[in-house]
Amino acid sequence: MKFSIKIGEKEYLIEIFEIEEGVKILVNGKEFYFPLEEQKIFYPKISTDKRDFQEKKILAPISGIISEVFVKEGDFVKKGEKLFSLSAMKMENEILSDFDGKIKKILVKKGDKVKKDDLLLIGV
Amino acid sequence: MKILEFEKIESTQKKAKELIQKLTPWTVIVAKEQTGGYGRKLGEKRDFWYSPKGGLYFTVVLPKLKTEKVPILTVLVAFSVAQFLKENFNFNVFIKLPNDILINGKKICGILIENFILGGKVKGSIAGIGLNTNIEEFPENLKNIATSLRIELGKKVNNKLILKKILKVLKENLEILT
Repeated sequence: MKFSIKIGEKEYLIEIFEIEEGVKILVNGKEFYFPLEEQKIFYPKISTDKRDFQEKKILAPISGIISEVFVKEGDFVKKGEKLFSLSAMKMENEILSDFDGKIKKILVKKGDKVKKDDLLLIGV
Repeated sequence: MKILEFEKIESTQKKAKELIQKLTPWTVIVAKEQTGGYGRKLGEKRDFWYSPKGGLYFTVVLPKLKTEKVPILTVLVAFSVAQFLKENFNFNVFIKLPNDILINGKKICGILIENFILGGKVKGSIAGIGLNTNIEEFPENLKNIATSLRIELGKKVNNKLILKKILKVLKENLEILT
């Protein structure tokens, strides 16, 4: 591509070439190189992703006994996945995850008695 | 009310869990026979529910309740079945709290409620009911602890009609909570 521009009284002849390494621009015969690598700077996706890094807490919805723990610390869970089974009044209550993420800490074990609103699990 | 009927399945409760995403409240899953009918957990094991042909085995998808009302569900369902048995057959019904119903000291009905809770809110509840209706006799290990309507009344009963009547009572009683 070849064209000329005028800045003030001075005219510049501009020539642009695509070369293997990038782009070469000639301005009145003087060479300028713009290697493509510069445009390829990798930005880790995580820095721009709108992820919520707040801790997620799972509380006991009602009082009862933890009859099953389906996950362990470090596990990744998806929303809707079974975390605990809580037995109350001989009813079985499956406590499902309300977040996608990693389990940071589990504060109860099978057989533990819990009260409503007791903290069962922390996730991130 | 939608009724899904099966001839022979492992468990109506299991089937309801499988299909829960697609089922609307008051959908009922009925089986003529269950190969793996189960009740509540007893330690590591599960209580099994003897489910040969003749009995009435069903799971009802309940309307969503507020979490704080959930603990009363078992008693309410047990009460509804007991109310049906009393009103229709005038039995002296005994509710063995919270989830078994006895007549003359023998178990005639078992109930299991399972809830699914996400973000502190009830996403769904299912009530499994096993009622010994037309079971003529029980195996040796259950003979002294279980009974059926057939044994107590000395005649056959209509399972479809009983299901309809129990659901009606259950619906009326649940309206108090919803």
